[in-house]
Amino acid sequence: MKNFWQQYSRNKSAVFGLVVLFALVLLAASANLLFPSDPFKLLGAPMSPPSSEFLLGTDSLGRSVASGIAHGARTSLLIGLVATSVAVLLGTVIGGLAGFHGGKVDNLLMRLTELFQTIPSFIFAVLLVAILSPSLKSVVIAIAVVSWPTVARLVRAEFLSLRKREFVQASITMGMPSWKIIFQQILPNALSPIIVSASLMIATAILLESGLSFLGLGDPNIMSWGFLIGAGRSILRTAWWVCTFPGIAILLTVMAINLVGEGLNDVLNPRLREKDQ
Amino acid sequence: MIRRKCLKLATVFAFGLFGWAGAAAAQTPEAGGTLIMVVQPEPPTLASYLSTSGPIGQVTTKVYDGLLEYDFDLKPIPSLAESWDESSDGKTITFHLRKDVKFHDGSDFTSADVQYTFMDVLKKVHPRASSSFKELTAVETPDPYTAVFKLANPAPYMIRALSGYESPIVSKELFEGTDPRQNPTANAPIGTGPFKFVEWKKGQYVRLDKNENYWKEGLPYLDRVVARFIPDAATRAAALENQEVQYAAFNAVPNVDAKRLDSIDGITVTTEGYSMINPMMLLEMNTKSLPIDNVKVRQAISYAIDRQFIIDNIFYGYGKPATGSISSNFASVGLYSDDVHDYAVADRIEKANALLDEAGFPRGENGVRFEIVHDIIAYGEDWQRLGEYIKQALGDIGISVTLRYEDVPTWLKRVFTDYDFQMNSNFFYQLADPVLGMHRQYLTDQIKQGTVFVNSSRYSNPEVDDLAHLGAEEIDPKKRSEIYTKIQQILAEDLPVIPLVEMQFTTVYLDKVKNTIVSPLGAYSSFDQAWIEQ
Repeated sequence: MKNFWQQYSRNKSAVFGLVVLFALVLLAASANLLFPSDPFKLLGAPMSPPSSEFLLGTDSLGRSVASGIAHGARTSLLIGLVATSVAVLLGTVIGGLAGFHGGKVDNLLMRLTELFQTIPSFIFAVLLVAILSPSLKSVVIAIAVVSWPTVARLVRAEFLSLRKREFVQASITMGMPSWKIIFQQILPNALSPIIVSASLMIATAILLESGLSFLGLGDPNIMSWGFLIGAGRSILRTAWWVCTFPGIAILLTVMAINLVGEGLNDVLNPRLREKDQ
Repeated sequence: MIRRKCLKLATVFAFGLFGWAGAAAAQTPEAGGTLIMVVQPEPPTLASYLSTSGPIGQVTTKVYDGLLEYDFDLKPIPSLAESWDESSDGKTITFHLRKDVKFHDGSDFTSADVQYTFMDVLKKVHPRASSSFKELTAVETPDPYTAVFKLANPAPYMIRALSGYESPIVSKELFEGTDPRQNPTANAPIGTGPFKFVEWKKGQYVRLDKNENYWKEGLPYLDRVVARFIPDAATRAAALENQEVQYAAFNAVPNVDAKRLDSIDGITVTTEGYSMINPMMLLEMNTKSLPIDNVKVRQAISYAIDRQFIIDNIFYGYGKPATGSISSNFASVGLYSDDVHDYAVADRIEKANALLDEAGFPRGENGVRFEIVHDIIAYGEDWQRLGEYIKQALGDIGISVTLRYEDVPTWLKRVFTDYDFQMNSNFFYQLADPVLGMHRQYLTDQIKQGTVFVNSSRYSNPEVDDLAHLGAEEIDPKKRSEIYTKIQQILAEDLPVIPLVEMQFTTVYLDKVKNTIVSPLGAYSSFDQAWIEQ
């Protein structure tokens, strides 16, 4: 573990990313303390510019933008984590089965994966949410459904190469049941690329959620950054702060997650790092 | 006609005298030019006899004339009908038609066309005919230029449903023996109006050219009218700003941009030209759903909402707080009354809380009395803001609201077929008469499962039904006014529907475009007098 930190902290930008991410988690966790009232509550005069009363101003209905960002951080992180977990789980199962069994199973599962990959992911997500009606659950489902194919392909490639290794061959010869080989032998060895790609997927998921809310397809009862930007878009010329601050929040978050992901990649794929040097 | 000629003479005279004053109000119209209007969205067809969908009417009213036109007081003035007489019992209306009118295909316009249009086309397929022409039993044609409308009962509102928008006159020759739903003129209309249909490039524009044989002497002034379709709202605003298009009605330019364009020299923004349309923003309350079935709950909700806030902060200042179930635009014909239960009082929040306490919904530990789901009309972000505001406003009186926003078909099915809602935001056109617009939302016989934009509250009050039937047939304006005052008073107490805002649509146009809004129908008028300053 100490070694891990040593290696991770060599990448300064990755450390910066981690700090930003930590601050964000802190903000999300303390949203109810900092801004105890409902973020949708009409607190002040509509479209008041940033001031000491409203740190980041108010939107067209008089809702505090700062409160919206704090509460929105929860939504973004929650959706990012949950949707990514679902996608990783689904992708790992499908990719693992395909890679391990090969042959007809592989063929079938990979054609299925390609089917999903051929549809532009954002448009597919919009379609899914429109069909399922906007709610937290349907947004998570939509993001997971469009995100799993990349994981599946990655896991399949790892499984394909790992299952030819001697230790796997040995396990097969020993008569180990398939599920044991998958979970005890192959998966632990395939974990690092999965972790790296999952960390980057969180960023994509947050962007997807923001995009959906921006289009008015988010859960209308839950505050999110995309919602803030979507609601402020039409008043951009008169009240710049409504869109700008949530935009910065998204930018920082996505950047931080990407930096962390890269840092993880450096640590978990040492060969790549050495090559860089 | 004589009057119009006199007016024109007077205009010329005035111009001769005061022409040197520059941009005086009275200018001589200049002939020629192309008017480019943006119509949003692109109409599905051009069959205005078949669908009342807004964008259709904006195009087809240039092609089809009606029997009548209207002045700004909603009083009928001659069009295809030169004059008309009404029998004393109100059951026979005789229209004397113009004799010099031809359809665009060259055939003569006669009373047979009027008869066929009303009896075989409009009465069969027009969506609003079941209310507008309910009493119309026959159109008799004693001679080619006289059409006699026979009514089962007096229908004083019918006279206001005869414009080229509401009741376009089609050619019998082209429709006879065909199903009006399948007629080829649906996408290539042929009427008697000032402009002829030329072509429709799907996704881009409809082009209409001047009708050289138009029956109004010297009109139209314009050589061409082009209706362009620009799907993106910001692009529409920009197109007006750089004078690529000259005219945009029915909020084709969103309110936020309209407000900005209004401050630019050379662009005018007006809310006139919608007083025969009268859109009313409202909340439909499901009177069969707990706890909305309780009238005190509905009254409390009405008290809790600050209508001026909605207008100022969501609709950019365009609109008027609604005081009751009939738009104040009907004041000119005596059908509007403000002598009703007033919900915009200073202590409205206290009153709302008191009503909810009385109704037996005390606040719980977290300050919540009960929870409801509020469906939001599926028409875009301004409406979502409205939902968010209502959620907050009701939260203040202890009603916890969950918002639901769905796509248009799902939402329509939920509200008008499944009745699976509690409180729904919506807007209804009140049109030119309560019978045509407002009745369909309140009467028992308008509870029609599966039909959209009717009585979804399932409100049924025999007293209102009886009064409304009296009102529909009463030809004495004073008595009619009393009847509708009574109806408005009852509805303001019962609140099956909570009126919010008398919406004001905007028309944005370049200053050099003149005379486009010359009647209460605004963009739904024929543009025969419209002209462009070169």
